[in-house]
Amino acid sequence: MINTEMIRLIVIDGALAAIAAIGFAVISNPSRKAIAVSALLAAIGHGLRFGLIHSAGLEISLATFVAASCIGLLSILFARIIHCPAEVFSFPSLLPMIPGLFAYRTILGLIKFMRTSDSIKAQGFMLDFFHNGLTTMFVLFALVVGVSLPVLFFPKTSFSVTRKY
Amino acid sequence: MHKKQLEIQLVQRFSKAFAILVIISLTAKLLYDIYYLCSLIFYLFQMTIKPNNTLASIQEIADLLTDIAAELMTTGAHTMRITQNISRMAEKFGYSIELSVFQLSIMMTITSKIDSTNRLTVIKKNRPLALNFRIVSDLSALSWDTFDKNLTYDEIKLRFHDIVTQKRISRWLVLILVGCANASFCALFKGDLYAVGLVFLATLVGFFTRQEMIKKHINHLIVFTTSAFVASLLAGLGYVFHLGTTPEVALASSVLFLIPGVPLINSILDIIEGHVLTGIARLVNASSLIVCIAVGLFTSMLILGLEKL
Repeated sequence: MINTEMIRLIVIDGALAAIAAIGFAVISNPSRKAIAVSALLAAIGHGLRFGLIHSAGLEISLATFVAASCIGLLSILFARIIHCPAEVFSFPSLLPMIPGLFAYRTILGLIKFMRTSDSIKAQGFMLDFFHNGLTTMFVLFALVVGVSLPVLFFPKTSFSVTRKY
Repeated sequence: MHKKQLEIQLVQRFSKAFAILVIISLTAKLLYDIYYLCSLIFYLFQMTIKPNNTLASIQEIADLLTDIAAELMTTGAHTMRITQNISRMAEKFGYSIELSVFQLSIMMTITSKIDSTNRLTVIKKNRPLALNFRIVSDLSALSWDTFDKNLTYDEIKLRFHDIVTQKRISRWLVLILVGCANASFCALFKGDLYAVGLVFLATLVGFFTRQEMIKKHINHLIVFTTSAFVASLLAGLGYVFHLGTTPEVALASSVLFLIPGVPLINSILDIIEGHVLTGIARLVNASSLIVCIAVGLFTSMLILGLEKL
């Protein structure tokens, strides 16, 4: 079910992710080329994840894993082109995918559980807490493992990208 | 008469030629002396610029290598990269190294390949984490240059100094860009226009708080708690004044700029690559920062009375 509306949404999603990636990249002070590449990778990764979730109906942690490994592969390619270690731009481009809303809901569920005296309601809050907490954890792991898989597959390449000869 | 005149002319001519010859030879001697003196001065000058063309001692090399390793650790490289870079450089100097990287210190034993009794163990304290990927990437390039171009000890030391002292991106530009980033983060979570504006404002104030507190060398945990508290307090005003339809998203994404993404990813990378101890240390550090963010968020939610919603 890919139509023009879907593509428009994916493009908007990618553009927002690119802005977010630029902002989070400058905190760690990379070179200008690396900032541009991390914006591009973030747009590709986040757009891909959005597409996978909303048109292919994938579960969020699985979609995140696919997007993160895609970012990891592309980052090694770009690392060879601009002679810069891959993690310099693959890390910032992952940051827009960090499950902030789920983490927030986890904390909210915990606070609500703590403050309530009604045991029926408390069960519901505990359910919220576990659902959101587990999603947060799995998405985080999917991000990290996904991006580091290509580094593990091509260790020689990923450590020699700054070599110029 | 005619003959005598000729004789005088001849003598005059000879004496002139002799005088010219003497002058020329004297000038040549003078020029040569000047040249010699100049070259001597130039040579001495060169000697003062490069005093030791001799091989650097094992102490000097050990100090330089641990400095580089500590700098890489401070600026956020993962353990595998540090080990690879340092052993590559040591290889070129004719030494082999064993490196242990910990959160607070780096321990290195350097052994000469020719004479294995010539060895040294150095422990170097790390500075607290201050991410700077430009230094990581430049130092990796430096290690490869050492390997490929046969750089001398002095050249490496000079370039290391240049790399470490280069300027960062202006903090005000970073502030604005982080504000935009967090605002677009909020838009990604489908926040409406009010939420995006609120998050932009909250992030500016929160990140400014963090920059100022880090400048004053306050404990990291306190810095993160306070910044999260300030940012979420501002973003929570959307709830209090009923701005827009998604105040929840504003509150949730207002503290996300604090998430220590790079240490988290580094820790998992370290664990996967077998440096479990360092990886766990990094993970505990990052997790404690996340707990601090949660505490800050929690506090402002309790103050605003949002847990009843």
